[in-house]
Amino acid sequence: MSSRSAAFDLGGLDDDPALRETILAHLRENFGRMTSSTSTATPFQHVFDKRVADVKAPKSDINALVLDYLIMEGYPKAAAYFSKEANIQPQSEDRSIQARQEILHAIHSGDIETAITALNELDAELLDSNPELHFQLLRQQLVELIRQCNSGDVTPAVEFATKKLGPRAATNRDFLHDLEQTMVLIFFPHDKLQPELAALLSPDLRRSTAAKVNEALNLRQHERAQAAIRSLLRMRTWAENSARAKKVDLPVSIELGLNGENTDYHDGGDEPMITT
Amino acid sequence: MTNPYQQQHGSAGFTGGESLGSSGLPPLNMRRASYASVVSGAPLSAMTRPARAGFSHILNPSPDSEPLHHGSNLYSSSLNSRIDAGMTRTARNGAHGENNATAHNNGGGDSTAWDSRRPGTNLQWFSRAFDLYMNRNPLSSTGPMGPDDFGFAPTGNPHHPVSNINSTGFLSPSYLRGSVYLKKLEERHRARMLAEREGQAAKGQQGVAASSAVSGSASSSRLASNGSSHLPAVANKVSGAGSYRGVAYDVVEKSPYPHDDDTVSPLPSRWNKDDKEGALEVLGDGYEVKYTGRAGSDHEASAIRADHYMSASCGVYYFEIVVLNRKKEDTPIGIGFSSKVASLSRAPGWEPETWGYHGDDGHCFAAQTVGKAYGPRFGTGDTVGCLVNFRLGQAMFTLNGKELGVAFRDINFKDVKTKLYPVVGLKKKDDHIWANFGQVPFMFDIDGYMKRQQAMIEEEIRQADTSKLVPGLSETELIQQLVLQFLQHDGYVETARAFAEEIHAEKMALRLSSDEPVKDINIKDDEDANNRQRIRQAILEGDIERAMQYTYAHYPTVLRDNEQVYFRLRCRKFIEMIRKEAELNMLLEERKNAKRRSRANLQSGDDEEMLDDTAAAAAAAVSDHWEDEMDVNMAAPAEEEEDEDEEDGVTPASVSKLSQEALMFGMELRAEFKSDPRRETSKHLDEIFSLIAYPNPLKVKEVAHLLGSEGRVAVAEELNAAILTSLGKSSRAALENVYAQTCVLLEDLRKDGGDGAFITVDSVIESIPPAILP
Repeated sequence: MSSRSAAFDLGGLDDDPALRETILAHLRENFGRMTSSTSTATPFQHVFDKRVADVKAPKSDINALVLDYLIMEGYPKAAAYFSKEANIQPQSEDRSIQARQEILHAIHSGDIETAITALNELDAELLDSNPELHFQLLRQQLVELIRQCNSGDVTPAVEFATKKLGPRAATNRDFLHDLEQTMVLIFFPHDKLQPELAALLSPDLRRSTAAKVNEALNLRQHERAQAAIRSLLRMRTWAENSARAKKVDLPVSIELGLNGENTDYHDGGDEPMITT
Repeated sequence: MTNPYQQQHGSAGFTGGESLGSSGLPPLNMRRASYASVVSGAPLSAMTRPARAGFSHILNPSPDSEPLHHGSNLYSSSLNSRIDAGMTRTARNGAHGENNATAHNNGGGDSTAWDSRRPGTNLQWFSRAFDLYMNRNPLSSTGPMGPDDFGFAPTGNPHHPVSNINSTGFLSPSYLRGSVYLKKLEERHRARMLAEREGQAAKGQQGVAASSAVSGSASSSRLASNGSSHLPAVANKVSGAGSYRGVAYDVVEKSPYPHDDDTVSPLPSRWNKDDKEGALEVLGDGYEVKYTGRAGSDHEASAIRADHYMSASCGVYYFEIVVLNRKKEDTPIGIGFSSKVASLSRAPGWEPETWGYHGDDGHCFAAQTVGKAYGPRFGTGDTVGCLVNFRLGQAMFTLNGKELGVAFRDINFKDVKTKLYPVVGLKKKDDHIWANFGQVPFMFDIDGYMKRQQAMIEEEIRQADTSKLVPGLSETELIQQLVLQFLQHDGYVETARAFAEEIHAEKMALRLSSDEPVKDINIKDDEDANNRQRIRQAILEGDIERAMQYTYAHYPTVLRDNEQVYFRLRCRKFIEMIRKEAELNMLLEERKNAKRRSRANLQSGDDEEMLDDTAAAAAAAVSDHWEDEMDVNMAAPAEEEEDEDEEDGVTPASVSKLSQEALMFGMELRAEFKSDPRRETSKHLDEIFSLIAYPNPLKVKEVAHLLGSEGRVAVAEELNAAILTSLGKSSRAALENVYAQTCVLLEDLRKDGGDGAFITVDSVIESIPPAILP
């Protein structure tokens, strides 16, 4: 909608100068924004946005969400600083966050052997009690071996597969499927893979393996798999989908407002700061 | 209020005694008896019903009233098995029960009177149960109240012997606790109570202050033990300036939920004596209905509706009746729900806009006289429940705690002309029922039913795909950005930097080859962010003066343009002065006590030695010996303490100087805002000036919250938001938007009892361990 046509509609508001002035000020502001950027903001605030603005988002709740996230997902330094800066009781379990962070780092780096050793040190029963997780880690290790021997000697990878993964795969159909799929990587050049196979070599698999390990550790230590902020984000997504399905009157798109200050923290360009 | 009994039971959270205390009626031993009885194991639901049955005869003798206890007797025998079950349950819950039993062994062995397995004791325990009830008339509680009065037993303990009506008369059925609907109702209830109290405050103020000074410390420790449950949280939100999750300053502002009337419609709480057929009579306190009309009246049946409708905002509504008829024969009793306009002269289910389940044939009826075979027949001694699920558009019934399956599907609640009310229809003389509108635990496991509903929705939420929220960002990346932006936005400079480094390290690790470039995250050395963090830090440390100086230096217009923030800062400065004084007083007191204790220890050691020693002659020698040693011991701690005194300079004189300064500043403050016409201003000033009246306000729970450090967080955030706005930045980070948007979206999904009625943002926050929650 153009602000020009909106301004026309204001003819009837002349008898209330204050209201008129408010609306005009609003329009001017938005008009300015529209000319200076490509923003598609509509001049009038949707009633939904108004309601959102009226809801209190208590700082203590937000702070708790953030600290919980930093602890649960293994950012020990940030967690320590945040406890200090936000004046929240420092956590007593610094050591275990640190150990966890090291494990996650090893997985992210593809050093699965180190990760498994450290995991067993931190919690000896974890892998024994969770064969799926153990298998996922070993398969990640196989992927890393295959990556290393691309177009070279594949013997270490094959040996590892038959010795460590084969016996486990025999016990579980899903394991078997995963193993077979992974073994295919040995026989194809890595630059010409189908998307499904290429995904195995992407860092995303490391990330997801690390996330699963983290969830398992969180379950054991905190009796919760995931940080509360993930639940909040999913609740937000689900609630919008459900509300739209129920034809609730909502703005065309509900912005999170992430871009407002985005330029503050990446070095130029408009693309998102983190790319994988 | 000042109930010594309650203090003994801090962690148990037993609220039942409070109204007893305030009413001042029952002698102490009576109260104990009833409490011990409860603890000894009879489930409340079982024991209170007959009590009421018996009681109503006394209070409301109807024309053809049966001899006392008649119905109750019959009924009670049918309950025996249930009570035995209750016993076993309590046995498992042993630790809790035992503690209390020990604490109350003064009760004169009353707990044994509860042993229902002993023949012939039924009447006795009716009368005891009745004691417990009698003194908690929910409508007549007028005693002064504090935050504690709103407390309920934590929901985590299903065996807790506490009724679901608190001392101020607020009905809180267990299955609705934690729901936004109930929170709203409670807020409204609380606002009303506060308004009432304000009216009484003028005359009663002195008394309250005095009594609270005595009970203060015990009660506040009790509040702390309840802290993780959500009800006290709500209490804080409304009760004053301090709340553990952010502060708002007056009742209206405080509500995190926009008010609209339908969602705060009160729960049905009793039968409506003005909405019934003439043949029926409402007995007792409104839970019982009896058919007293002439036999063979013209009507096919006589029905009665409850006082309020079932709000769809509940998501699920449930109530139960117990059939108290004394003769086991055909009981043409019907239970169900109906619109306000439906006729009451026929059984529920036969009229348009009525739905019902009938005891005489076990059929269920939906707005027609032809029903369908549904469940067993029911009659004397049976407990029948009616459950309406607004989310699924279904209704079902329960019999003696068991689900009977869906009775009505696809109920289109929107097509019904008015809201729907719980209804019961009786037909024959002496038909007699008692209803549980949630005031005591239900026989059916409605909490479990509710949890299953929630679990279904939570599973859907878990499956939600967040990758489209911001196109191009996975959930993990999005969360990293949200957190990073929040940290920067709110001026957590060091944390933002550390977090950026950790994200960077993570990305470095994820690279597949070392020559892959990783984009650096530049945390700009943002002068504003640093300044804001410095100001925040000063306030969080309680140094308001420093914070104001920084603000004047860097943002000279902010305090001028935001007089409300300025006012809050000035008030907080005063509060900090009082707090400092109180803390030092506490320190001095501790030292004095420590000194006294060490002396007392020595003294008592001496005495024991004397007693043990039988030889009088030897005693003198020993005493000499002890005197020597005592001198040495006495000297050491005394010197130490004096050293400490000198080190931190805390002396009674320095504290009294502080007190003088606070007083002076208070007068300055009053003069400064004397001409402010707003009522909140003077109200808030009055509130904080009252702090001066207490020797040590930290120990007085009514005012201690004013001094809490949560207040610092609130002031700091208000100032931060004002500075951000003055800089033309959004006062909210994206993460806060996510939070607020979710609240509003859920609100929309809550209308008509949809999915939103079953979940809250609070439940997400409450999943965070309390160690992290401030």
